[in-house]
Amino acid sequence: MSSLPDSRQLQQRFTKHIRTGVRTIIPGVAQDRLAHYRHAIFHMVKDTMESAYPVTCANIPARKWDRMVRDFFAHHACTSNQVWKLPLEFYTYAVENNWDEVYDIPYLSDLLAFEWAEIEVFNMEDIAPAAFTSTGNWLETPLVLNPEYRLLSFKYPVHREAKRARLLKEQGAWFVLLHREPVNGHVQFTGLSPWLAFVTEQLAAGITVKDILEYAPQLGITVTAELEKDTIAFLVDMQRQQFVLGFQP
Amino acid sequence: MVGLGFRREFAEEMISGELITPDFIEFAPENWMNIGGYWKKMLHRVLEKYPVLCHGLSLSLGSPEEVDKTFLRYVKSFLEEYKVRIYSEHLSYSKCDNAHLYDLLPMPFRMDAALHMAARIQQVQDYLQRPLAMEIISYYTPVAPEMSEADFINEVVQRSGCQLLLDVNNIYVNAFNHQYDAKAFMAQLPLDKVAYIHMAGHEQVSPDMILDTHGHPIADPVYELFEWTIRQIRPVPVLLERDFNIPQMQDLQEELTRLKSICHQQWKHHELVA
Ligand SMILES: [Fe+2]
Repeated sequence: MSSLPDSRQLQQRFTKHIRTGVRTIIPGVAQDRLAHYRHAIFHMVKDTMESAYPVTCANIPARKWDRMVRDFFAHHACTSNQVWKLPLEFYTYAVENNWDEVYDIPYLSDLLAFEWAEIEVFNMEDIAPAAFTSTGNWLETPLVLNPEYRLLSFKYPVHREAKRARLLKEQGAWFVLLHREPVNGHVQFTGLSPWLAFVTEQLAAGITVKDILEYAPQLGITVTAELEKDTIAFLVDMQRQQFVLGFQP
Repeated sequence: MVGLGFRREFAEEMISGELITPDFIEFAPENWMNIGGYWKKMLHRVLEKYPVLCHGLSLSLGSPEEVDKTFLRYVKSFLEEYKVRIYSEHLSYSKCDNAHLYDLLPMPFRMDAALHMAARIQQVQDYLQRPLAMEIISYYTPVAPEMSEADFINEVVQRSGCQLLLDVNNIYVNAFNHQYDAKAFMAQLPLDKVAYIHMAGHEQVSPDMILDTHGHPIADPVYELFEWTIRQIRPVPVLLERDFNIPQMQDLQEELTRLKSICHQQWKHHELVA
């Protein structure tokens, strides 16, 4: 009988080294070839993150970024079979481990969320919209929205700005709508005021503009003719951008 | 049949079919399942034009842990939806301790690993109701072997009843890196089980190491080994893999044409029989 550990243990040692760099000796394994695997795999993971998060990566010093990807790959067991979903695990890991504070980048999770959402909306499975007609009453007919969208809220306006100093000055409540254009599949993003973000959320739940406006005072918002006009102008614009598809028949 | 690995970089060209016309395409289901939007439309367009074979990346049949059944269910419905004739995977593992590593790692050539892998291949074949074509991977180091690579492969194939995907470039690269004779190695394989062939380019990066890059044209000695190999086997589909360093479509088409003419020459007799 062989005195070597069984194959399962050999595989665990081999992969543990690849992920963490912890020294290991496995019979028959040349150290330089083991290093080749570790290097090649780490670079694949890092490349994946850099193409998913180009803005994040460009705004973090190279050594810090390298440390982040190494930390993630060594300590997080990647569960996605699909490489394109791996960046979501990176984002989740950053949030769970409080990287905004750990790495002193208060807007990091906002930035990762924004960059990930663009990939997610671009790739998400097709969702058939409800039936709609092109005519209706903006105030009283429930609207049909393009279901391929995400509405995100941020503490920092990462959709407008990447410079640290400016971002930190603009801490607040920011909203961004990302949607996929039905025909060409392009992802559009639109910065929204808190009010329009609220309107969008309510429209998605099937509430009419009229009912949303009636509810507004409870949020401390004064409804004026101007607000109504601006809200409808926004919706008309979003119809042109194929986020509002039409009216419920 | 000589096919080409389908990639987003040249999707338009393949759909237009003006500069390149493979007989079929191959892709990894992982890269195309559960997506919508632009790339789903492109996928449907390319599938209207070409038959498709699928080459899995992440089933990790050599893994110590259980087969991922949720993923397997997706694969099954994907293969059915797109009428995929061959589903191939790798004699390797890419996941351990429930963590994916996104690369094909070398199996320990040991009996317990062979038995384990054969059982898992059988399990998947039973579930999918089709044989798997298992690819012999390129690898850069042996891992505590207690049997030869050829014995390991024979053991897995015999016990699981799987087919083989012979990547001729992998065999060439392995023979160089591990200093054995490619033809002598091939002669020890159950060549009657070969259901599919891969061809690709490589790059020599040091005096004792060739990398299986899929980033260069097929090297001449690999064509020579291909010619020798296909003489030993019945006609099967042949695929050109090009994943990096994508050249002009005319150059890829030339490689396809060269492969095709070798097939015609070596398999002439078979074609007359058929
Ligand atoms: Fe291959």
